[in-house]
Formats: sequence, C-alpha cells, structure tokens
Amino acid sequence: MTRRALLKFDWAAARRGRLVPLFALGFALASIGVALVGLSAGGAVVVQGFARTSISLLQLTLWTVPLLSLLLGAVSGAECTELEFLTALPFPRTHIVVSRWAAWTLALSAAVAAGFGAAGIVVGIFAGSADVGRYLALIGVALLLVSANLAVGFWIGIVARGRARAVGFAVGAWFVLVIGADLVAIALLSILPAHLATWSLVALLTVNPVDSARALGLGLFQTGAVAGPTGAALQRLLGGPGAALVLAGLVAWTVIPLRLAGRRFAAHDL
Amino acid sequence: MIELRDVAKRFGHRIALAPFTLTVAPGEIVALVGPNGAGKSTTLRILAGGLHPDQGTACIAGRDVVTDPLRARLHLGYLPQRIGVPLSAVVGDLAALVAAARGLPAGAGTRALAEYGLGDRLDATLGEMSGGQRQRAMLALATLGPLEALVLDEPSISLDIEGADDVREAIRRAKRAGVAVLFASHHLSDVALLADRIAVMVAGKLIACGTLEELAATTGVAWDSRVVDAPIERIYRILVRGRAQLVDAA
Repeated sequence: MTRRALLKFDWAAARRGRLVPLFALGFALASIGVALVGLSAGGAVVVQGFARTSISLLQLTLWTVPLLSLLLGAVSGAECTELEFLTALPFPRTHIVVSRWAAWTLALSAAVAAGFGAAGIVVGIFAGSADVGRYLALIGVALLLVSANLAVGFWIGIVARGRARAVGFAVGAWFVLVIGADLVAIALLSILPAHLATWSLVALLTVNPVDSARALGLGLFQTGAVAGPTGAALQRLLGGPGAALVLAGLVAWTVIPLRLAGRRFAAHDL
Repeated sequence: MIELRDVAKRFGHRIALAPFTLTVAPGEIVALVGPNGAGKSTTLRILAGGLHPDQGTACIAGRDVVTDPLRARLHLGYLPQRIGVPLSAVVGDLAALVAAARGLPAGAGTRALAEYGLGDRLDATLGEMSGGQRQRAMLALATLGPLEALVLDEPSISLDIEGADDVREAIRRAKRAGVAVLFASHHLSDVALLADRIAVMVAGKLIACGTLEELAATTGVAWDSRVVDAPIERIYRILVRGRAQLVDAA
C-alpha cells in the first residue's frame, strides 16, 4: 500500500515536470523529421520502411536518451538527499530511490515511445508495415536504455551529493559512455593484436549500456557491418547468444546501479 | 518517549554534537534553544533518521532509530527545518502517502489538511502554495496519526501570527494526547509559553536543561511567571554568552 502511494506520489511529480514533455515534443519532431528525410531520400515513399528509419532513429536515441536520462537521474538522485520529511516516514529509504527511478522511467519512456510512435505512424502511412515488429523491439531497446541510464544517473546523484556536482558527473558519464568508449575501442583496435582486440571489444560492449543498445538495435535489422567495431566483434565472436548476453548486460545496468544507489542512500547521512 | 543517550556526532573534524543525554517523557514538551550551529537540528535529524549518530543511542518509543528504524519512525511525526519534500509534490498525493505510511485510511490526510484550512488546495503542488500555507500543510501531515513522538525543527518559521498560533495549538494538542514533543526554535516567547523544560545548546554541547523557573534561578534572573517573554530573552542571553552550567539533562 505504501509502495503504491509512493509511486503515485512520485509519478504525479514526474508528470508535472516541464522537461519531459518538452523532450517528448522535441524527440517526436526530430523522429518525424528523420522518418520523412529517410523517405524522401529514396525518391519514392514506398521504398523505405521501418528498417532504414529505425537505424537513423537509433543514432538519435543513442545520443539524446542517455544524456537526458543521466541528467534527470542525477538531479533526482541528488534531490533524494534533501527529502528529510519522506525519509522520516516509516518505510525503507531504498523505496524512495526505487519509486523515484520508476516514476522517471515511466515518464521518460512515455516520451521516447511518443517520439518513436509519431515517427512510426508517418512510416506506417507512407511505407507500409514491413518490419514493424523489429521497430517495436527497437522501442523496447530504447526503453531499456532509458531505464539503465536513469539508474546510473540516480547512483551518480546520490554519490555526488549536490545537484551541481551531480550534473557535472552525469555529463562526464555521458561523454565516457557515448564518445569515450568508442575512442577506447578505436585505440584498442589499432594497438592490440586481432585476437586480443576482439575480446577487449566484447568486454567494452557488455560494460557499456550505450554500446549494448547500439549492438542490439542494429542486430535487430541484421546490420552487423555497421554496428561499429564493438558490435561487429560481438557478432563475429558470439553470434546469437551474444544478443542475449548484451541484453542481460543492459538489464544489469539498471539493476546494479539502482541497488548501489539504494544501499548508499540507506547507509549514509542525508 | 524520546531518549537520547550519550549521542554524539561529528562532521569531518568538526564536533557537531558532544555526547549528551536528554529524555522527553510522554506528554512532555522540551524546547531546544541555542544559536545557529549549536547542534539543535543535528539532534532532531538524528532522531528522524536523517543522520546516524557516531556514538550513543537515540530511541523513539523505546525503539532505536538506527537498529530498528522503521518501527521507531512508525509513530514519529517530524517537521524538518527545510521542507524535505519536492516542491513539485501534489499536496493531496503527499497526504495520501503519509496516511498510507502510518497505516491510516487515505482520507485521514486530506481531513488533516482541511483542519488547517487547506481543504481546497489538495490539487496544488507545494511550489504553488505560499510559504505559510506550505508550512501549515507540512505541520498538518507531520502531526497526522497516532504519534508517540513529535519532533519539530523551527516550526513557526515563515508563519504569520495565525499560523504560529496553529503551531502552538498543534504542540499543545500533541501534549494532551500524551505525545513526547521535542522542538527547536529561535522564538523564545513560544519556548517560554509551551515548553515544560528548556534545553540550551551551544557549540554542540548541552549547557543547561531545566524548567524556566530553574533556569531563571540558575542565571539569577528575576522571575515573574505572569510575564514570560522578557525574562526568557534575558535568560537566553546569559546562558548562551556566559555558558552557565546546569546539569539536568536526564
């Protein structure tokens, strides 16, 4: 009963924020733009369907969703340490972290789904429904990315103590996950011998939620060749089970940071 | 019953609280007074579970706030100095949450808000309310339910005269219900009017604790029980500046 009341409380607060509706609008417009550009580039509306639009949308998602999720998670996590009234109520502090994470995950997932949905309607109307199942799976990957990055953001916010520091660390984490990991991958490829580089890249892929989402998204459309060095390495090495490993890794990126955040919040002074 | 036994707290190298002991009996009101940084809020935050003591034990209704926190907090009402809830929180949802946490029907929270004249603000967020309304809402929810201890940190802050009267009445009502009340305040007239005992803190140390009459006797301030405001101001100044010792912390 308390968990439900807590989730309702946090959901109402998350819903009232301005950032998520703005992101939803911006993401939807950008997604529709990507879909339309993709359609016109082929010269005829029927030639390009969900597959090509998905790959373009995936790139948009991989840049914007982690950034917003990390920032929202970090700010919300830092805010947890200011909730003295709530922490004096008789429920575990971990419930506060999990409930806030769940509320923001719902809100941001709705925004991302709205963006994908808007683009999907455009594609569906002009290009038909081929590959729609894979497109829906891609939305699922995007939602896992939301969930994982929010969890990481919460952990950052609770450890950082203070919104300004949390935002700084979140931007740093975004840089590492979205850009830094690729730079490391390129460096490894150029330095290490092939057999060692492959394993290193696989390790990099599974320990980076953004790369995991990229590999899963591209894997849906059988595009291993453009999956980046890490995605190509994983497909070559692991084949089918690789996808399950990456999916499990992505789920772990939600569970582990969230548990760490909850533990830290429960054990330390506000 | 509120019990603090040899409780101490440091923040880095700074001693926020030197070991001290204080007990508030059921139906008793104890006020914590002292300058900023004296350790009043630290004491209250330890009781509310926001800070962990470095040593000693803090108990609410016989339950240790560190080792048995959920049961300790079950019948604790706490009003922090800062609001302690996101300003985006919807008042009605917050009321439902507090009621659920204390095992009360969902309507109990909204009724409490209505008693404080906020029945028409259930859909408002805390950020949409005035400072006084916000403080009254938080007071209504802090005092909700069958409590055994009420801990208030500067409850009259940002309140007008009527709001301050609401606070005094809430504290008196809690006392009548047998609740142990511990509150920190810079409003010495409130302290004199409400408190059965006054605990004076300076630089993390409890330097005096007793009834107003006892503190007046210790400091040599002439005491007229009909006029409390002026003597309490003088007593406070003497205690805080002179650090008079009165050991009656138990």
